[in-house]
Amino acid sequence: MKKILSVIIGSTIASTSIAQQKNVSDRVGYIDVAYTMGSSRNIVAASYVHNWRVGAKGKWQLGIGGRLTSSIGTKQAYITAPARLARTSTIPFLVVFSGQNIQNWDTLTVQRPWINSVNLSFNVLYQFARHWAAGFNIDVIGFSVGRNSAAILTSNGATRTEPLAKPAAFNLLLTGDLDHGSLNSEFFIRYQFKGKWGVRVIYQFLFNEYKITSIFQTAPDGTMVNRFRSKTNNLGIGISYLL
Amino acid sequence: MKTFCVLLLVFSCLTACKKESGTQAVSPMQPGNGQLPVLYRGVFMNGPYGQASGIAKVVVKDDLQQLLLDSFVVTGGPDLHVYLSKEVQPLNFIDLGKLKFASGSQLYTIPANTNYADYQYALIHCQQYNHLFGSATIK
Repeated sequence: MKKILSVIIGSTIASTSIAQQKNVSDRVGYIDVAYTMGSSRNIVAASYVHNWRVGAKGKWQLGIGGRLTSSIGTKQAYITAPARLARTSTIPFLVVFSGQNIQNWDTLTVQRPWINSVNLSFNVLYQFARHWAAGFNIDVIGFSVGRNSAAILTSNGATRTEPLAKPAAFNLLLTGDLDHGSLNSEFFIRYQFKGKWGVRVIYQFLFNEYKITSIFQTAPDGTMVNRFRSKTNNLGIGISYLL
Repeated sequence: MKTFCVLLLVFSCLTACKKESGTQAVSPMQPGNGQLPVLYRGVFMNGPYGQASGIAKVVVKDDLQQLLLDSFVVTGGPDLHVYLSKEVQPLNFIDLGKLKFASGSQLYTIPANTNYADYQYALIHCQQYNHLFGSATIK
């Protein structure tokens, strides 16, 4: 956790200082609205991004931002969230490539999920042509609010009703299944018009998390589990405006 | 602006909604329930969020135990499912599937080895909103 934050803060400070040494006008700020959709799910995100140009040619941009992501759907499947149960490794970063412990997974079908998350984001962009750029962004830390919903927990073939599933309130990027809460990340291609407007084509990877309050999954190690996560791949578009 | 419009059009084509796979609209079944052996039965009563009437019967058909909703009527609702449940307000239940028709006789297959001493309630339940529309105690 400390390492991740150190890397993010360090790179941001480094990019800032490099940009400031070169030219104050190398700061790039823009606002963006994006719509993405996946299976039985719609997502709208509004963000503010503040980047700094880095590198001799200024083609790279690094920066931070803030993003509101609202995800709404019906009958979404959430699976057992804790990495120690869901994966074969809990080492940060390596957890992403570790095996899946499917035998430990239970499914929580949230009937009417709606999660609104506000997160600090980290952004990278590379301008590869005059009007074209490719980028990546990811939420780092924040909080979520949303709609409580009935849910159905399916465990070893038995089905139970959870009358009150709640969105996880705290979001934190720890890589892979170590993450907590709801985090949005995007790969995108942006076309910048001659003026201030631009349009993005987006591939989104979204984590959402619900917690159950009255029933629990009993893990093989005897612990009680109340965190369930959905991971979805979504496609969409965004419109950005340079400030 | 033309480029933007073209991009938007291409994207719309790529992400167009696919048709949902739904239940086919067919006539209610006529299972000939008078000839089926009845193991358990119960009369539907109204739930807090709907009105249901008719008889729930556990019958044997084609060597399978099935839940027959006989002379059945329920008020309309979203996402209604047929449950066998341990409780009137379902906490532990078996989902027999989406309600096929709001009225008329209909059959739902029950998993093998279901213990009717535990699962003694047949329910019509709105899954999305967790609302009970009707219940029958099967004995």
